[in-house]
Amino acid sequence: MSVISLKDIKKIYQLGDNTVHALRGVSLDIEEGEFVAITGPSGSGKSTMMHILGCLDSPSEGGYLLNGKDVSNLPRQELADIRNRQIGFVFQGFNLLPRTSAVENVELPLLYSRPVMANTERHDRAVAALTAMGLADRLDHHPSQLSGGQQQRVAIARALVNHPSLILADEPTGNLDSKTSIEVMRLLQELREKQGITIVLITHEPEIAAYGTRIISVRDGVIISDEKNEPRSVDPIEELPPIAAASGY
Amino acid sequence: MSVIWHLVIMAWHTLMRNKVQTLLAMLGVTVGVGALVTSMALGKGAQEAIKEQLLAAGANMIVVNSGNYQVERAGAGGSPADHAAISKPRSPILQTAQWQSRPIPNFPNVKLYRTHFEDDPMAEHDHPIASERLGDAMAGLGAAATLTLQDAQAIREQLDGIEFVASGVHENARLTLADDERKQWFTRLHGTESQLPVIRSGWIFPYGRFLTAGQVRNAEQVMVLGKVVADRLFGENVNPVGQTLLLWNQEFEVIGVVGSRSWASQPVAGDDQFDAVYIPVTTVHSLLNLSKLNTITVTTSSAGETSIIAKQIEELLRVRHGITEQMPDDFTVRTQSAQLLGKGLAPDVARIVAGNLESIEALTIEQLAASLQRANSTMLALLAGVATVSLLVGGIGVMNLLLLSVTQRTREVGLRMAMGARSRDIASQFVLEAIVLSVVGGLVGATGGALISETLEQLFAWSTEVSFLSMVVSIAVAALLGVIASVYPAHRAAQLNPIGALHHE
Ligand SMILES: Nc1ncnc2c1ncn2[C@@H]1O[C@H](COP(=O)(O)OP(=O)(O)O)[C@@H](O)[C@H]1O
Ligand SMILES: [Mg+2]
Repeated sequence: MSVISLKDIKKIYQLGDNTVHALRGVSLDIEEGEFVAITGPSGSGKSTMMHILGCLDSPSEGGYLLNGKDVSNLPRQELADIRNRQIGFVFQGFNLLPRTSAVENVELPLLYSRPVMANTERHDRAVAALTAMGLADRLDHHPSQLSGGQQQRVAIARALVNHPSLILADEPTGNLDSKTSIEVMRLLQELREKQGITIVLITHEPEIAAYGTRIISVRDGVIISDEKNEPRSVDPIEELPPIAAASGY
Repeated sequence: MSVIWHLVIMAWHTLMRNKVQTLLAMLGVTVGVGALVTSMALGKGAQEAIKEQLLAAGANMIVVNSGNYQVERAGAGGSPADHAAISKPRSPILQTAQWQSRPIPNFPNVKLYRTHFEDDPMAEHDHPIASERLGDAMAGLGAAATLTLQDAQAIREQLDGIEFVASGVHENARLTLADDERKQWFTRLHGTESQLPVIRSGWIFPYGRFLTAGQVRNAEQVMVLGKVVADRLFGENVNPVGQTLLLWNQEFEVIGVVGSRSWASQPVAGDDQFDAVYIPVTTVHSLLNLSKLNTITVTTSSAGETSIIAKQIEELLRVRHGITEQMPDDFTVRTQSAQLLGKGLAPDVARIVAGNLESIEALTIEQLAASLQRANSTMLALLAGVATVSLLVGGIGVMNLLLLSVTQRTREVGLRMAMGARSRDIASQFVLEAIVLSVVGGLVGATGGALISETLEQLFAWSTEVSFLSMVVSIAVAALLGVIASVYPAHRAAQLNPIGALHHE
């Protein structure tokens, strides 16, 4: 069973008299353990696709099966529950809460778990996720006390803390320098390789897309190419501890 | 529970991210709740004060006097306090009584008639009178009366709703220092019982104590001095307990001094309470060979029943005295006296009353109570108004802060939604923040209000009473205010579109 299965997805925005066709019929299947990079120029519909994949928005037309369940026409609250349980987001701007410790930032998705999770379990899981990201000594640091790379690792820990089946990363390296970008990409590769997590990454940079096992190019709301890719490899990063498989991430 | 506590802590941390704005919004709630607590304390205090004053003014006191002086109003002029006297139509026989009418100073149109035969000075006594026996010309003067100790006992035992009963014989008396015959003081003498201090709640005893039940029972020759008497005979701040005084040529031991608790009624020469001496009523009876009383003072357990009980006392005494249908009472039952009304009130209360009414003597307890309540509720309405306005301003402050916060934290809301927060989670977060803010502000305000009330009491002697309930109510009001103020901002946050919110700058 595919993790993601899109059937002829269309998204139409109505702006006054103007009709914008952001997606004009997208069909694709993503299998478990794939690392898919979606690229395309600005305005091509990448973000729109990401919003639909992330259950943040519903398509105007077409069907979307997430882990076999049709999620294309669910009400708001059910979409929220699916996001909480099945999807981890990594954003370009990190989107960490300011003046809030790393642990509390990572705890955030667990606050909305149903049934309600005990304080201690929530804390323990956040600590474990941060430890897996090599941030065991940064638990109580606030975002402003962390480097860009460290902040993005906190964000990745937050995306992972709920054990989602899918990680969606929208331009995760957009705010990072090239060296740190490589670190983050290596981290995502290791998540896939060691834990088989499915990752969908959106980027307009071909060099970043090259880290994926599959590259999908989008233009004007349609897929123009969809190819397997030999992921670009880098030497394991010295300063990062190997991601502990034992921790469950 | 612990999860909720965690959310409260988080809400507090979030609020503290914007310290200045949060503290300003909190200040509004603090002022509002402070005003609320203060006004409730003043309201309660005023109520207690009124209750106390009414009791002090004799609202629950019934005085039975022997004899029956009826007031005849010759014109519509001055109106003395006759409201509480239970008067009967005068019998035609009494109109022609041999008594000459006596004019009353200040009330030229009013004539007093002494209407009972008992008081006839022409009556022949079949025993040596007290002045003859004791060799004191004044002994027994004015003691002729119609009430007896047995009457007092009957009231005590046969009627319900009675708190205390004290019998009284009142005389004028000349006291002489046993050690120094030149030191004399002419004063009022009250023969009474041990319970009088309970009735006169404003009394204190700087030296010694009041008469005991045993001393009254055994008719001991002991004496409690009013403060004025003690000062005149022994000097100020001298303890006279144990000294001996002469009354009717008899030796009396001083056992106590009575003074006033209230600064409002300080002992002065010539007053009836402190320029006076108190000895057991039984002692007066045995020395003067009397069995009559001038007064029986009764207090009722509840002020509301006073007039009913007064009526019952009248009926009881008529039966005991064998008074037939057509005859008037040979005693007078008054539920309170105009004189007490004027005296018992603290100046601030009296001012309120006197300011509104022409003559304090024309007051009845009901009128007084109503007038006090009116003055009180006007003040309360004012304070409640202040509290309401400041709470309103506080609520608007909280709402303003939250609206600002929703705008500033739109991205955070979007992020939380992406992480799986539902509309209701987002809404409750803002509501919780408002509650935390308001309750903290409320706690500070309630504490401040209590301190202010205490200070008002200390500095201006205003009567205030901070109750635990009023604190709880105020904080609950603050929490409610927080909830109401947060409804609209929370709704706005909850309705945000997650994508739009996430990409909000
Ligand atoms: N909320 C929206 N309302 C109207 N038009 C939109 C909206 N979001 C995106 N679009 C339009 O849809 C097209 C695709 O946008 P987007 O998915 O953001 O592209 P990309 O992320 O590849 O830059 C663009 O033409 C954009 O203007
Ligand atoms: Mg985009």
